[in-house]
Amino acid sequence: MISTLQFILVPLLACILLLVITSYFGIHVLKREIIFIDIALAQIAALGGVLVIFIDHRLHTHEIMVGDLFLSNILAYIASLLFCLGAAVIFTHLKSPRIKVPIEAFIGIAYALATTAAVIILDKGAGGDVHLHDMLTGSLLWTTWPQVIRLAIILVIIGGFHFIYRHRFIQLTAFYLEKSGAMKHQRKWDFLFYFTFGIMIIEAIRVAGVLTVFAFLILPASISALFAVQWRQRILIGLGSGVLAAFIGLYLSITLDVSVSPLIILLLGVILLVGVTTRKILIRHPV
Amino acid sequence: MKETLLFLATPIAASILLAGVLGYFGTHILTRGIIFIDIAIAQIAALGTMIGLLLGFAEESSTVQLLSYLFTLLVIGGFAFLRTKESVIPAEAVIGIIYCLGLALALLLAERIPGGSNYITKTITGNILWVTWEKVLKIGLLFAGIGLIHLVFGAKFISLSEVCRRDPSLKLKDTLYNLLFYVTFCIVVVKAVLIGGIFLVFTLLIAPSAAAALFAQSWLSRMAWSWLIGILGTVAGIFLSYSMNVSNGPAIVVLLGLLVFIMALVRLFKPTDQKMKAPS
Repeated sequence: MISTLQFILVPLLACILLLVITSYFGIHVLKREIIFIDIALAQIAALGGVLVIFIDHRLHTHEIMVGDLFLSNILAYIASLLFCLGAAVIFTHLKSPRIKVPIEAFIGIAYALATTAAVIILDKGAGGDVHLHDMLTGSLLWTTWPQVIRLAIILVIIGGFHFIYRHRFIQLTAFYLEKSGAMKHQRKWDFLFYFTFGIMIIEAIRVAGVLTVFAFLILPASISALFAVQWRQRILIGLGSGVLAAFIGLYLSITLDVSVSPLIILLLGVILLVGVTTRKILIRHPV
Repeated sequence: MKETLLFLATPIAASILLAGVLGYFGTHILTRGIIFIDIAIAQIAALGTMIGLLLGFAEESSTVQLLSYLFTLLVIGGFAFLRTKESVIPAEAVIGIIYCLGLALALLLAERIPGGSNYITKTITGNILWVTWEKVLKIGLLFAGIGLIHLVFGAKFISLSEVCRRDPSLKLKDTLYNLLFYVTFCIVVVKAVLIGGIFLVFTLLIAPSAAAALFAQSWLSRMAWSWLIGILGTVAGIFLSYSMNVSNGPAIVVLLGLLVFIMALVRLFKPTDQKMKAPS
Protein backbone atom coordinates (compact mmCIF):
# COMPACT_ATOMS: atom_id res chain seq x y z
CA MET A 1 0.00 0.00 0.00
CA ILE A 2 2.61 2.52 1.13
CA SER A 3 5.05 1.57 -1.59
CA THR A 4 2.27 1.99 -4.16
CA LEU A 5 1.51 5.43 -2.77
CA GLN A 6 5.19 6.34 -2.92
CA PHE A 7 5.32 5.17 -6.49
CA ILE A 8 2.38 7.24 -7.61
CA LEU A 9 3.44 10.36 -5.74
CA VAL A 10 5.30 11.99 -8.62
CA PRO A 11 2.69 11.21 -11.32
CA LEU A 12 -0.04 12.38 -8.96
CA LEU A 13 1.79 15.66 -8.41
CA ALA A 14 2.10 16.06 -12.17
CA CYS A 15 -1.63 15.40 -12.56
CA ILE A 16 -2.53 17.91 -9.86
CA LEU A 17 -0.34 20.56 -11.47
CA LEU A 18 -1.87 19.89 -14.86
CA LEU A 19 -5.39 19.88 -13.48
CA VAL A 20 -4.93 23.21 -11.69
CA ILE A 21 -4.30 24.92 -14.98
CA THR A 22 -6.54 22.80 -17.25
CA SER A 23 -9.61 23.12 -15.05
CA TYR A 24 -9.15 26.88 -15.39
CA PHE A 25 -8.40 26.91 -19.14
CA GLY A 26 -11.14 24.32 -19.70
CA ILE A 27 -13.77 26.84 -18.64
CA HIS A 28 -12.43 29.24 -21.27
CA VAL A 29 -12.46 26.48 -23.88
CA LEU A 30 -16.02 25.46 -23.05
CA LYS A 31 -17.33 29.03 -22.95
CA ARG A 32 -15.66 29.89 -26.25
CA GLU A 33 -16.80 26.57 -27.73
CA ILE A 34 -13.36 25.94 -29.21
CA ILE A 35 -13.36 22.33 -28.14
CA PHE A 36 -12.03 20.67 -31.24
CA ILE A 37 -9.64 23.48 -32.10
CA ASP A 38 -7.94 22.57 -28.89
CA ILE A 39 -7.41 18.88 -29.75
CA ALA A 40 -6.38 19.87 -33.30
CA LEU A 41 -3.79 22.36 -32.00
CA ALA A 42 -2.48 19.84 -29.49
CA GLN A 43 -2.11 17.26 -32.23
CA ILE A 44 -0.41 19.77 -34.54
CA ALA A 45 2.02 20.67 -31.76
CA ALA A 46 2.72 16.98 -31.24
CA LEU A 47 3.34 16.61 -34.98
CA GLY A 48 5.89 19.44 -34.86
CA GLY A 49 7.73 17.68 -32.06
CA VAL A 50 7.60 14.28 -33.77
CA LEU A 51 8.92 15.76 -37.01
CA VAL A 52 11.98 17.34 -35.41
CA ILE A 53 12.82 14.21 -33.44
CA PHE A 54 12.53 12.15 -36.64
CA ILE A 55 14.82 14.45 -38.62
CA ASP A 56 17.19 14.55 -35.71
CA HIS A 57 17.32 10.76 -35.54
CA ARG A 58 18.02 10.57 -39.22
CA LEU A 59 20.91 12.98 -38.85
CA HIS A 60 22.41 11.53 -35.70
CA THR A 61 21.77 7.83 -35.79
CA HIS A 62 25.33 7.05 -34.90
CA GLU A 63 26.46 9.86 -32.66
CA ILE A 64 23.91 10.63 -30.01
CA MET A 65 25.38 13.05 -27.55
CA VAL A 66 23.90 14.81 -24.55
CA GLY A 67 24.39 18.21 -26.07
CA ASP A 68 22.61 17.13 -29.22
CA LEU A 69 19.72 15.81 -27.20
CA PHE A 70 19.35 19.14 -25.49
CA LEU A 71 19.48 20.95 -28.81
CA SER A 72 16.92 18.67 -30.40
CA ASN A 73 14.64 19.19 -27.41
CA ILE A 74 14.74 22.92 -27.95
CA LEU A 75 14.25 22.48 -31.68
CA ALA A 76 11.26 20.23 -31.11
CA TYR A 77 9.83 22.84 -28.77
CA ILE A 78 10.27 25.64 -31.27
CA ALA A 79 8.81 23.51 -34.05
CA SER A 80 5.77 22.70 -31.90
CA LEU A 81 5.29 26.36 -31.15
CA LEU A 82 5.68 27.38 -34.79
CA PHE A 83 3.28 24.69 -35.99
CA CYS A 84 0.75 25.78 -33.39
CA LEU A 85 1.06 29.45 -34.26
CA GLY A 86 0.91 28.71 -38.01
CA ALA A 87 -2.25 26.69 -37.56
CA ALA A 88 -3.81 29.40 -35.40
CA VAL A 89 -3.06 32.02 -38.07
CA ILE A 90 -4.55 29.85 -40.83
CA PHE A 91 -7.69 29.14 -38.79
CA THR A 92 -8.21 32.84 -38.10
CA HIS A 93 -7.91 33.65 -41.78
CA LEU A 94 -10.23 30.86 -42.88
CA LYS A 95 -12.96 32.34 -40.71
CA SER A 96 -13.73 34.70 -43.56
CA PRO A 97 -17.05 35.41 -45.26
CA ARG A 98 -15.46 34.37 -48.53
CA ILE A 99 -15.23 30.79 -47.40
CA LYS A 100 -18.66 29.21 -47.42
CA VAL A 101 -17.53 26.07 -45.62
CA PRO A 102 -18.00 25.85 -41.85
CA ILE A 103 -14.73 26.38 -39.99
CA GLU A 104 -15.32 23.09 -38.15
CA ALA A 105 -14.60 21.25 -41.39
CA PHE A 106 -11.11 22.74 -41.57
CA ILE A 107 -10.45 22.08 -37.90
CA GLY A 108 -11.50 18.45 -38.29
CA ILE A 109 -9.40 17.98 -41.42
CA ALA A 110 -6.41 19.57 -39.69
CA TYR A 111 -6.81 17.15 -36.79
CA ALA A 112 -7.02 14.13 -39.13
CA LEU A 113 -4.09 15.45 -41.15
CA ALA A 114 -1.86 16.01 -38.13
CA THR A 115 -2.66 12.62 -36.59
CA THR A 116 -2.08 10.60 -39.74
CA ALA A 117 1.03 12.57 -40.68
CA ALA A 118 2.43 11.77 -37.23
CA VAL A 119 1.51 8.11 -37.79
CA ILE A 120 3.36 8.07 -41.11
CA ILE A 121 6.46 9.55 -39.51
CA LEU A 122 6.30 7.26 -36.46
CA ASP A 123 5.82 4.26 -38.75
CA LYS A 124 9.21 5.00 -40.28
CA GLY A 125 10.91 4.57 -36.95
CA ALA A 126 11.05 1.39 -34.91
CA GLY A 127 8.23 0.62 -32.47
CA GLY A 128 5.69 2.87 -34.14
CA ASP A 129 2.79 1.43 -32.16
CA VAL A 130 4.44 2.30 -28.86
CA HIS A 131 5.17 5.87 -29.93
CA LEU A 132 1.60 6.24 -31.11
CA HIS A 133 0.39 5.22 -27.67
CA ASP A 134 2.78 7.71 -26.10
CA MET A 135 1.62 10.50 -28.36
CA LEU A 136 -2.00 9.88 -27.40
CA THR A 137 -1.73 9.14 -23.71
CA GLY A 138 1.81 10.09 -22.71
CA SER A 139 3.67 8.19 -20.05
CA LEU A 140 2.29 9.71 -16.88
CA LEU A 141 3.44 6.86 -14.69
CA TRP A 142 7.05 7.54 -15.58
CA THR A 143 7.01 11.23 -14.83
CA THR A 144 10.26 12.34 -13.20
CA TRP A 145 10.97 15.03 -10.60
CA PRO A 146 12.72 17.33 -13.10
CA GLN A 147 9.63 17.14 -15.33
CA VAL A 148 7.36 18.03 -12.42
CA ILE A 149 9.56 20.95 -11.40
CA ARG A 150 9.69 22.25 -14.95
CA LEU A 151 5.92 21.92 -15.24
CA ALA A 152 5.48 23.74 -11.94
CA ILE A 153 7.70 26.66 -13.00
CA ILE A 154 5.91 27.14 -16.31
CA LEU A 155 2.49 26.79 -14.74
CA VAL A 156 3.33 29.33 -12.04
CA ILE A 157 4.36 31.82 -14.72
CA ILE A 158 1.30 31.26 -16.92
CA GLY A 159 -1.07 30.85 -14.01
CA GLY A 160 0.31 33.94 -12.30
CA PHE A 161 -0.11 35.97 -15.46
CA HIS A 162 -3.69 34.81 -15.82
CA PHE A 163 -4.36 35.42 -12.13
CA ILE A 164 -3.10 39.00 -12.25
CA TYR A 165 -5.13 39.80 -15.36
CA ARG A 166 -8.00 37.43 -14.52
CA HIS A 167 -10.69 40.08 -14.93
CA ARG A 168 -9.52 40.89 -18.41
CA PHE A 169 -9.33 37.27 -19.53
CA ILE A 170 -12.74 36.43 -18.08
CA GLN A 171 -14.25 39.49 -19.70
CA LEU A 172 -12.52 38.56 -22.96
CA THR A 173 -14.10 35.12 -23.03
CA ALA A 174 -17.49 36.51 -22.04
CA PHE A 175 -17.32 38.76 -25.10
CA TYR A 176 -15.79 36.14 -27.37
CA LEU A 177 -18.96 34.82 -28.94
CA GLU A 178 -20.38 38.32 -29.42
CA LYS A 179 -19.26 40.96 -31.87
CA SER A 180 -15.63 41.94 -31.59
CA GLY A 181 -14.67 45.41 -30.45
CA ALA A 182 -16.63 45.21 -27.23
CA MET A 183 -13.42 45.47 -25.25
CA LYS A 184 -10.30 47.60 -25.37
CA HIS A 185 -7.28 45.99 -27.06
CA GLN A 186 -9.29 42.84 -27.69
CA ARG A 187 -6.88 41.55 -30.32
CA LYS A 188 -3.86 41.94 -28.10
CA TRP A 189 -5.50 40.12 -25.22
CA ASP A 190 -6.85 37.43 -27.51
CA PHE A 191 -3.35 36.85 -28.81
CA LEU A 192 -2.00 36.69 -25.25
CA PHE A 193 -4.71 34.19 -24.35
CA TYR A 194 -3.90 31.88 -27.25
CA PHE A 195 -0.16 32.28 -26.76
CA THR A 196 -0.26 31.25 -23.11
CA PHE A 197 -2.80 28.53 -23.91
CA GLY A 198 -0.50 27.16 -26.61
CA ILE A 199 2.55 27.05 -24.32
CA MET A 200 0.47 25.32 -21.65
CA ILE A 201 -0.74 22.72 -24.18
CA ILE A 202 2.76 22.00 -25.49
CA GLU A 203 4.05 21.53 -21.96
CA ALA A 204 1.09 19.41 -20.95
CA ILE A 205 1.17 17.01 -23.91
CA ARG A 206 4.85 16.29 -23.27
CA VAL A 207 3.88 14.82 -19.94
CA ALA A 208 0.39 13.46 -20.46
CA GLY A 209 -0.23 13.04 -24.20
CA VAL A 210 -2.78 14.60 -26.55
CA LEU A 211 -5.84 12.65 -25.47
CA THR A 212 -5.29 13.04 -21.72
CA VAL A 213 -4.79 16.79 -22.00
CA PHE A 214 -7.93 17.05 -24.10
CA ALA A 215 -9.84 15.11 -21.44
CA PHE A 216 -8.36 17.21 -18.62
CA LEU A 217 -9.54 20.34 -20.38
CA ILE A 218 -13.11 19.46 -21.24
CA LEU A 219 -14.21 16.92 -18.63
CA PRO A 220 -13.53 18.81 -15.36
CA ALA A 221 -14.94 21.99 -16.90
CA SER A 222 -18.07 20.10 -17.98
CA ILE A 223 -18.50 18.58 -14.53
CA SER A 224 -18.15 21.96 -12.85
CA ALA A 225 -20.59 23.54 -15.34
CA LEU A 226 -23.27 21.28 -13.88
CA PHE A 227 -23.06 22.72 -10.39
CA ALA A 228 -21.57 26.18 -10.44
CA VAL A 229 -21.47 29.43 -12.37
CA GLN A 230 -18.74 31.38 -10.61
CA TRP A 231 -15.21 30.84 -11.92
CA ARG A 232 -13.65 30.23 -8.51
CA GLN A 233 -16.17 27.53 -7.62
CA ARG A 234 -15.94 25.96 -11.06
CA ILE A 235 -12.16 25.72 -10.86
CA LEU A 236 -12.39 24.15 -7.42
CA ILE A 237 -15.03 21.61 -8.48
CA GLY A 238 -13.12 20.76 -11.66
CA LEU A 239 -9.87 20.42 -9.77
CA GLY A 240 -11.48 18.29 -7.07
CA SER A 241 -13.10 15.85 -9.49
CA GLY A 242 -9.94 15.72 -11.60
CA VAL A 243 -7.67 14.96 -8.66
CA LEU A 244 -10.11 12.32 -7.41
CA ALA A 245 -10.10 10.61 -10.82
CA ALA A 246 -6.32 10.92 -11.10
CA PHE A 247 -5.73 9.44 -7.64
CA ILE A 248 -8.11 6.49 -8.12
CA GLY A 249 -6.86 5.99 -11.65
CA LEU A 250 -3.19 5.92 -10.64
CA TYR A 251 -3.89 3.60 -7.75
CA LEU A 252 -6.00 1.18 -9.81
CA SER A 253 -3.55 1.30 -12.68
CA ILE A 254 -0.82 -0.06 -10.41
CA THR A 255 -2.94 -2.66 -8.67
CA LEU A 256 -4.77 -3.83 -11.80
CA ASP A 257 -1.80 -3.40 -14.12
CA VAL A 258 -3.52 -1.37 -16.84
CA SER A 259 -2.32 1.86 -18.42
CA VAL A 260 -3.14 4.89 -16.40
CA SER A 261 -4.21 7.67 -18.77
CA PRO A 262 -7.22 5.91 -20.35
CA LEU A 263 -8.28 4.84 -16.87
CA ILE A 264 -8.24 8.41 -15.54
CA ILE A 265 -10.18 9.60 -18.60
CA LEU A 266 -12.84 6.93 -18.11
CA LEU A 267 -13.09 7.73 -14.39
CA LEU A 268 -13.65 11.38 -15.26
CA GLY A 269 -16.42 10.18 -17.59
CA VAL A 270 -17.95 8.21 -14.70
CA ILE A 271 -17.80 11.29 -12.45
CA LEU A 272 -19.50 13.32 -15.18
CA LEU A 273 -22.29 10.73 -15.44
CA VAL A 274 -22.74 10.74 -11.66
CA GLY A 275 -22.78 14.53 -11.80
CA VAL A 276 -25.45 14.63 -14.51
CA THR A 277 -27.63 12.22 -12.53
CA THR A 278 -27.15 14.13 -9.29
CA ARG A 279 -28.06 17.36 -11.00
CA LYS A 280 -31.25 15.83 -12.36
CA ILE A 281 -32.25 14.60 -8.92
CA LEU A 282 -31.38 17.99 -7.39
CA ILE A 283 -33.50 19.80 -9.95
CA ARG A 284 -36.45 17.53 -9.36
CA HIS A 285 -36.19 17.56 -5.57
CA PRO A 286 -34.61 20.82 -4.49
CA VAL A 287 -33.16 20.74 -1.01
CA MET B 1 4.20 -1.54 -63.86
CA LYS B 2 1.54 -4.02 -64.86
CA GLU B 3 2.08 -6.07 -61.71
CA THR B 4 1.86 -2.97 -59.58
CA LEU B 5 -1.41 -2.07 -61.23
CA LEU B 6 -2.79 -5.54 -60.71
CA PHE B 7 -1.70 -5.50 -57.07
CA LEU B 8 -3.27 -2.10 -56.51
CA ALA B 9 -6.45 -2.80 -58.48
CA THR B 10 -8.42 -4.08 -55.46
CA PRO B 11 -7.56 -1.26 -53.05
CA ILE B 12 -8.21 1.26 -55.80
CA ALA B 13 -11.62 -0.27 -56.50
CA ALA B 14 -12.39 -0.25 -52.76
CA SER B 15 -11.31 3.34 -52.30
CA ILE B 16 -13.30 4.49 -55.31
CA LEU B 17 -16.36 2.89 -53.75
CA LEU B 18 -15.63 4.55 -50.42
CA ALA B 19 -14.90 7.92 -52.00
CA GLY B 20 -18.14 7.68 -53.96
CA VAL B 21 -20.50 6.91 -51.13
CA LEU B 22 -18.70 9.05 -48.53
CA GLY B 23 -18.49 11.99 -50.91
CA TYR B 24 -22.25 11.87 -51.26
CA PHE B 25 -22.87 11.67 -47.53
CA GLY B 26 -20.22 14.32 -46.91
CA THR B 27 -22.22 16.89 -48.84
CA HIS B 28 -25.16 16.17 -46.54
CA ILE B 29 -23.02 16.25 -43.41
CA LEU B 30 -21.44 19.55 -44.35
CA THR B 31 -24.83 21.10 -45.08
CA ARG B 32 -26.13 19.85 -41.75
CA GLY B 33 -23.03 21.15 -40.01
CA ILE B 34 -22.58 17.99 -37.90
CA ILE B 35 -18.91 17.61 -38.61
CA PHE B 36 -17.29 16.39 -35.45
CA ILE B 37 -19.97 13.87 -34.70
CA ASP B 38 -18.65 11.72 -37.57
CA ILE B 39 -15.26 11.32 -36.03
CA ALA B 40 -16.99 10.34 -32.79
CA ILE B 41 -19.23 7.87 -34.63
CA ALA B 42 -16.27 6.36 -36.45
CA GLN B 43 -14.41 6.00 -33.17
CA ILE B 44 -17.39 4.34 -31.51
CA ALA B 45 -17.79 1.96 -34.47
CA ALA B 46 -14.14 0.95 -34.06
CA LEU B 47 -14.74 0.52 -30.34
CA GLY B 48 -17.69 -1.79 -31.04
CA THR B 49 -15.46 -3.93 -33.24
CA MET B 50 -12.85 -4.10 -30.51
CA ILE B 51 -15.35 -5.22 -27.91
CA GLY B 52 -16.48 -7.91 -30.33
CA LEU B 53 -12.89 -9.07 -30.69
CA LEU B 54 -12.45 -9.07 -26.95
CA LEU B 55 -15.48 -11.31 -26.57
CA GLY B 56 -13.76 -13.75 -28.87
CA PHE B 57 -15.60 -13.32 -32.15
CA ALA B 58 -13.76 -13.26 -35.48
CA GLU B 59 -12.93 -9.86 -36.90
CA GLU B 60 -15.18 -10.14 -39.96
CA SER B 61 -18.03 -12.00 -38.25
CA SER B 62 -21.56 -10.66 -38.29
CA THR B 63 -21.69 -10.51 -34.48
CA VAL B 64 -18.84 -8.03 -34.40
CA GLN B 65 -20.50 -5.88 -37.03
CA LEU B 66 -23.80 -6.04 -35.21
CA LEU B 67 -22.05 -4.77 -32.08
CA SER B 68 -20.58 -1.92 -34.09
CA TYR B 69 -24.00 -0.94 -35.44
CA LEU B 70 -25.51 -1.14 -31.99
CA PHE B 71 -22.86 1.13 -30.53
CA THR B 72 -23.10 3.74 -33.26
CA LEU B 73 -26.89 3.82 -33.13
CA LEU B 74 -26.73 4.19 -29.36
CA VAL B 75 -24.44 7.17 -29.66
CA ILE B 76 -26.51 8.84 -32.37
CA GLY B 77 -29.68 8.19 -30.45
CA GLY B 78 -28.15 9.45 -27.25
CA PHE B 79 -26.85 12.56 -28.93
CA ALA B 80 -30.19 13.33 -30.59
CA PHE B 81 -31.87 12.85 -27.21
CA LEU B 82 -29.39 15.08 -25.38
CA ARG B 83 -29.72 17.79 -27.95
CA THR B 84 -33.42 18.27 -27.43
CA LYS B 85 -32.91 19.38 -23.83
CA GLU B 86 -31.48 22.61 -22.63
CA SER B 87 -28.04 21.84 -21.38
CA VAL B 88 -25.32 23.69 -19.55
CA ILE B 89 -22.70 21.75 -21.50
CA PRO B 90 -22.37 22.79 -25.15
CA ALA B 91 -23.22 20.13 -27.76
CA GLU B 92 -19.69 20.21 -29.15
CA ALA B 93 -18.31 19.37 -25.72
CA VAL B 94 -20.64 16.38 -25.50
CA ILE B 95 -19.34 15.14 -28.86
CA GLY B 96 -15.78 15.74 -27.72
CA ILE B 97 -16.38 13.80 -24.53
CA ILE B 98 -17.94 10.89 -26.47
CA TYR B 99 -14.93 10.79 -28.79
CA CYS B 100 -12.47 11.05 -25.94
CA LEU B 101 -14.11 8.33 -23.85
CA GLY B 102 -14.45 6.08 -26.91
CA LEU B 103 -10.76 6.36 -27.69
CA ALA B 104 -9.75 5.94 -24.06
CA LEU B 105 -11.84 2.78 -23.73
CA ALA B 106 -10.39 1.44 -26.97
CA LEU B 107 -6.86 2.06 -25.69
CA LEU B 108 -7.67 0.30 -22.44
CA LEU B 109 -9.23 -2.70 -24.19
CA ALA B 110 -6.32 -2.88 -26.61
CA GLU B 111 -4.14 -4.05 -23.75
CA ARG B 112 -6.38 -7.04 -23.20
CA ILE B 113 -6.37 -8.24 -26.82
CA PRO B 114 -3.27 -9.94 -28.20
CA GLY B 115 -1.82 -7.48 -30.68
CA GLY B 116 -4.31 -4.88 -29.51
CA SER B 117 -1.84 -2.05 -29.79
CA ASN B 118 -1.55 -2.97 -33.42
CA TYR B 119 -5.30 -2.78 -33.64
CA ILE B 120 -5.30 0.83 -32.41
CA THR B 121 -2.85 1.71 -35.15
CA LYS B 122 -5.08 -0.12 -37.59
CA THR B 123 -8.19 1.80 -36.61
CA ILE B 124 -6.20 4.96 -37.28
CA THR B 125 -4.53 3.89 -40.52
CA GLY B 126 -6.91 1.25 -41.88
CA ASN B 127 -5.75 -1.61 -44.05
CA ILE B 128 -7.15 -0.83 -47.44
CA LEU B 129 -4.22 -2.51 -49.16
CA TRP B 130 -5.37 -5.95 -48.03
CA VAL B 131 -9.01 -5.89 -49.13
CA THR B 132 -10.12 -8.81 -51.30
CA TRP B 133 -12.28 -8.73 -54.41
CA GLU B 134 -14.93 -10.59 -52.46
CA LYS B 135 -15.10 -7.80 -49.90
CA VAL B 136 -15.16 -5.15 -52.59
CA LEU B 137 -18.06 -6.93 -54.25
CA LYS B 138 -19.93 -7.20 -50.95
CA ILE B 139 -19.62 -3.55 -49.99
CA GLY B 140 -20.33 -2.63 -53.60
CA LEU B 141 -23.67 -4.43 -53.38
CA LEU B 142 -24.41 -2.92 -49.97
CA PHE B 143 -23.59 0.58 -51.13
CA ALA B 144 -25.68 0.05 -54.24
CA GLY B 145 -28.61 -0.87 -52.00
CA ILE B 146 -28.11 2.24 -49.90
CA GLY B 147 -27.68 4.29 -53.04
CA LEU B 148 -31.04 3.00 -54.23
CA ILE B 149 -32.73 4.15 -51.02
CA HIS B 150 -31.13 7.54 -51.48
CA LEU B 151 -32.12 7.68 -55.11
CA VAL B 152 -35.75 7.16 -54.11
CA PHE B 153 -35.80 9.54 -51.14
CA GLY B 154 -32.94 11.77 -52.31
CA ALA B 155 -34.97 14.93 -52.76
CA LYS B 156 -36.54 14.48 -49.32
CA PHE B 157 -33.14 13.97 -47.68
CA ILE B 158 -31.72 17.05 -49.37
CA SER B 159 -34.55 19.28 -48.23
CA LEU B 160 -34.22 17.85 -44.72
CA SER B 161 -30.48 18.55 -44.66
CA GLU B 162 -31.10 22.11 -45.71
CA VAL B 163 -33.79 22.68 -43.11
CA CYS B 164 -31.85 20.90 -40.36
CA ARG B 165 -29.61 23.81 -39.45
CA ARG B 166 -32.23 26.48 -39.34
CA ASP B 167 -35.00 24.61 -37.61
CA PRO B 168 -34.18 21.55 -35.52
CA SER B 169 -37.82 20.87 -34.59
CA LEU B 170 -39.32 18.33 -36.97
CA LYS B 171 -42.63 16.70 -37.68
CA LEU B 172 -42.99 12.99 -37.00
CA LYS B 173 -42.85 12.05 -40.67
CA ASP B 174 -39.69 14.06 -41.16
CA THR B 175 -38.19 12.48 -38.07
CA LEU B 176 -38.72 9.06 -39.63
CA TYR B 177 -36.98 10.17 -42.82
CA ASN B 178 -34.20 11.59 -40.70
CA LEU B 179 -33.90 8.29 -38.89
CA LEU B 180 -33.64 6.46 -42.22
CA PHE B 181 -30.90 8.87 -43.25
CA TYR B 182 -28.94 8.29 -40.07
CA VAL B 183 -29.39 4.51 -40.19
CA THR B 184 -28.01 4.33 -43.74
CA PHE B 185 -25.22 6.69 -42.70
CA CYS B 186 -24.34 4.48 -39.75
CA ILE B 187 -24.20 1.37 -41.92
CA VAL B 188 -21.88 3.09 -44.36
CA VAL B 189 -19.60 4.42 -41.61
CA VAL B 190 -19.33 1.05 -39.84
CA LYS B 191 -18.47 -0.74 -43.09
CA ALA B 192 -16.08 1.97 -44.20
CA VAL B 193 -14.23 2.13 -40.86
CA LEU B 194 -13.58 -1.61 -41.04
CA ILE B 195 -11.79 -1.10 -44.33
CA GLY B 196 -10.32 2.36 -44.25
CA GLY B 197 -9.88 3.29 -40.59
CA ILE B 198 -11.30 6.25 -38.69
CA PHE B 199 -9.33 9.05 -40.23
CA LEU B 200 -9.68 7.95 -43.84
CA VAL B 201 -13.45 7.75 -43.42
CA PHE B 202 -13.61 11.12 -41.75
CA THR B 203 -11.40 12.73 -44.37
CA LEU B 204 -13.24 11.20 -47.31
CA LEU B 205 -16.47 12.49 -45.81
CA ILE B 206 -15.40 16.03 -45.12
CA ALA B 207 -12.41 16.94 -47.29
CA PRO B 208 -13.73 16.41 -50.84
CA SER B 209 -17.11 17.94 -50.07
CA ALA B 210 -15.48 20.89 -48.30
CA ALA B 211 -13.18 21.47 -51.27
CA ALA B 212 -16.17 21.25 -53.62
CA ALA B 213 -18.25 23.61 -51.50
CA LEU B 214 -15.51 26.23 -51.78
CA PHE B 215 -16.14 26.66 -55.46
CA ALA B 216 -19.51 25.12 -56.32
CA GLN B 217 -22.98 26.04 -55.15
CA SER B 218 -25.64 23.63 -56.37
CA TRP B 219 -26.01 20.15 -54.87
CA LEU B 220 -25.32 18.43 -58.14
CA SER B 221 -22.09 20.24 -58.92
CA ARG B 222 -20.94 19.95 -55.31
CA MET B 223 -21.47 16.20 -55.41
CA ALA B 224 -19.85 15.80 -58.81
CA TRP B 225 -16.81 17.79 -57.69
CA SER B 226 -16.47 15.97 -54.41
CA TRP B 227 -16.62 12.63 -56.23
CA LEU B 228 -13.97 13.76 -58.66
CA ILE B 229 -11.70 15.15 -55.95
CA GLY B 230 -12.24 12.18 -53.68
CA ILE B 231 -11.56 9.55 -56.34
CA LEU B 232 -8.55 11.31 -57.82
CA GLY B 233 -7.20 11.97 -54.33
CA THR B 234 -7.51 8.37 -53.20
CA VAL B 235 -6.01 6.93 -56.39
CA ALA B 236 -3.12 9.39 -56.27
CA GLY B 237 -2.67 8.67 -52.57
CA ILE B 238 -2.50 4.92 -53.12
CA PHE B 239 0.14 5.27 -55.83
CA LEU B 240 2.07 7.76 -53.74
CA SER B 241 2.02 5.51 -50.68
CA TYR B 242 3.10 2.56 -52.79
CA SER B 243 6.04 4.35 -54.32
CA MET B 244 7.11 6.01 -51.05
CA ASN B 245 6.46 2.92 -48.95
CA VAL B 246 4.16 4.49 -46.36
CA SER B 247 0.74 3.30 -45.17
CA ASN B 248 -1.87 4.24 -47.73
CA GLY B 249 -4.73 5.36 -45.48
CA PRO B 250 -2.64 8.13 -43.92
CA ALA B 251 -1.14 9.00 -47.31
CA ILE B 252 -4.61 9.64 -48.76
CA VAL B 253 -5.62 11.64 -45.68
CA VAL B 254 -2.54 13.84 -45.83
CA LEU B 255 -2.90 14.37 -49.58
CA LEU B 256 -6.60 15.25 -49.46
CA GLY B 257 -6.16 17.35 -46.33
CA LEU B 258 -3.37 19.42 -47.81
CA LEU B 259 -5.39 19.81 -51.01
CA VAL B 260 -8.33 21.26 -49.09
CA PHE B 261 -6.14 23.78 -47.30
CA ILE B 262 -4.44 24.81 -50.53
CA MET B 263 -7.79 25.22 -52.25
CA ALA B 264 -9.13 27.22 -49.32
CA LEU B 265 -6.12 29.54 -49.47
CA VAL B 266 -6.60 29.92 -53.21
CA ARG B 267 -10.24 30.79 -52.60
CA LEU B 268 -9.21 33.27 -49.95
CA PHE B 269 -6.72 35.18 -52.05
CA LYS B 270 -8.28 34.80 -55.47
CA PRO B 271 -10.01 37.99 -56.62
CA THR B 272 -13.62 37.07 -56.15
CA ASP B 273 -15.94 36.87 -59.11
CA GLN B 274 -18.95 36.78 -56.81
CA LYS B 275 -19.21 40.52 -56.62
CA MET B 276 -19.18 40.92 -60.35
CA LYS B 277 -21.96 38.42 -60.72
CA ALA B 278 -24.19 39.99 -58.13
CA PRO B 279 -23.70 43.75 -57.86
CA SER B 280 -25.25 45.03 -54.68
